Amino acid sequence: MTNRPEQYDTDDSSLSLPHCVIIIPAHNEVKDVGFVIGEIHKHTRLPVVVIDDASTDNTIVVAREAGAMVIPLTVQLGAWGATQAGLRYALKNDYAYAITMDADGQHLAESLRDLLQPIIDKEADVSIGACTKRGSRARKIAWVLIKWASGLKLEDLTSGFRVYDRRAIRRLARWQATLLEYQDVGVLVMLQASGLVIKDVEVRMLPRRHGISKVFHSWMSVFYYMAYTLLLSITKRGIKLDM
Amino acid sequence: MVSIITGIIGFATAITIVILIRLDHLHVRYGLWWLVVAFVFALLGLFPTFFDGFARHIGISYPPMLALTISLLVLVIKILVMDIERSQNEVRLTRLTQRIALLESDLREALGKPLEPNHAASHGERDDGRNK
Repeated sequence: MTNRPEQYDTDDSSLSLPHCVIIIPAHNEVKDVGFVIGEIHKHTRLPVVVIDDASTDNTIVVAREAGAMVIPLTVQLGAWGATQAGLRYALKNDYAYAITMDADGQHLAESLRDLLQPIIDKEADVSIGACTKRGSRARKIAWVLIKWASGLKLEDLTSGFRVYDRRAIRRLARWQATLLEYQDVGVLVMLQASGLVIKDVEVRMLPRRHGISKVFHSWMSVFYYMAYTLLLSITKRGIKLDM
Repeated sequence: MVSIITGIIGFATAITIVILIRLDHLHVRYGLWWLVVAFVFALLGLFPTFFDGFARHIGISYPPMLALTISLLVLVIKILVMDIERSQNEVRLTRLTQRIALLESDLREALGKPLEPNHAASHGERDDGRNK
């Protein structure tokens, strides 16, 4: 018995990739998740799975009504914990590809085709939707620092708009990846250390429709993020992982 | 002499923490805390006279006692915080176990599957972290 959301037939007029699932981690996104799922359905018939990160609002109800499958977490795990739950679901149900998108409307469904192209063309194992125009000067300086510390050569380190192939899914489903607190640098370093090819694809992103960033909501949280990310980058430099 | 030892302890701690994080034995979050500790040790080791001067200034005749007392205080607070966090984790773990048990029993009933005698080990491994 496979536990999959409704699998649509492939159709030339809509984007399709066999055995691919869209994963959306969501915490209290009742205002935006319905819109995001609706937009996805306008562009593709790929199955959508929302990982509800112990929301206290009606995110689950809205997501279900919009046509997504919902996996509710009983304890709040954070964006990466919820994403990893989604990747473990993808692994368990034999998906070959997993796309991760945010529930807050920053990632556009119209970009899915561009995002999937390097994967379809077999040019990369992981594809990242990059939007380097967004972000303040401070963020850009932070990125330069992090790239220097970690050795990552990518353009957009924090974008959660990604496509992972099966080997990436398998690597990120492991317990070692559960130690990570954020879904960005640590994940990318782990993928690179596994010898996977990662490509940036420049895409348009919208500013957040509601609320503020969950990661960078205060100076303390920014400081902690930078200290955490720099320490992680430095300690994991040059590491090689067997696939 | 003591300050050299203190400095070496600081550097050794820092290197140990980096290795532990690299090998996935320690969360980066706790590594940050330990690195601060290592840094303080190294600092005391490199600038012993600064601390001695500070201790005498506030009226302590034997500065190492101040260093020891502060270290003990920090450790006590750290252990207390750890026990508080551990209490929360135990509650979470127990309730998650209960929840899974209830879910499994619902599922088995719905699927018409019987319960095996050695249910805890029925997946080929134990979930409580022990090896046998």
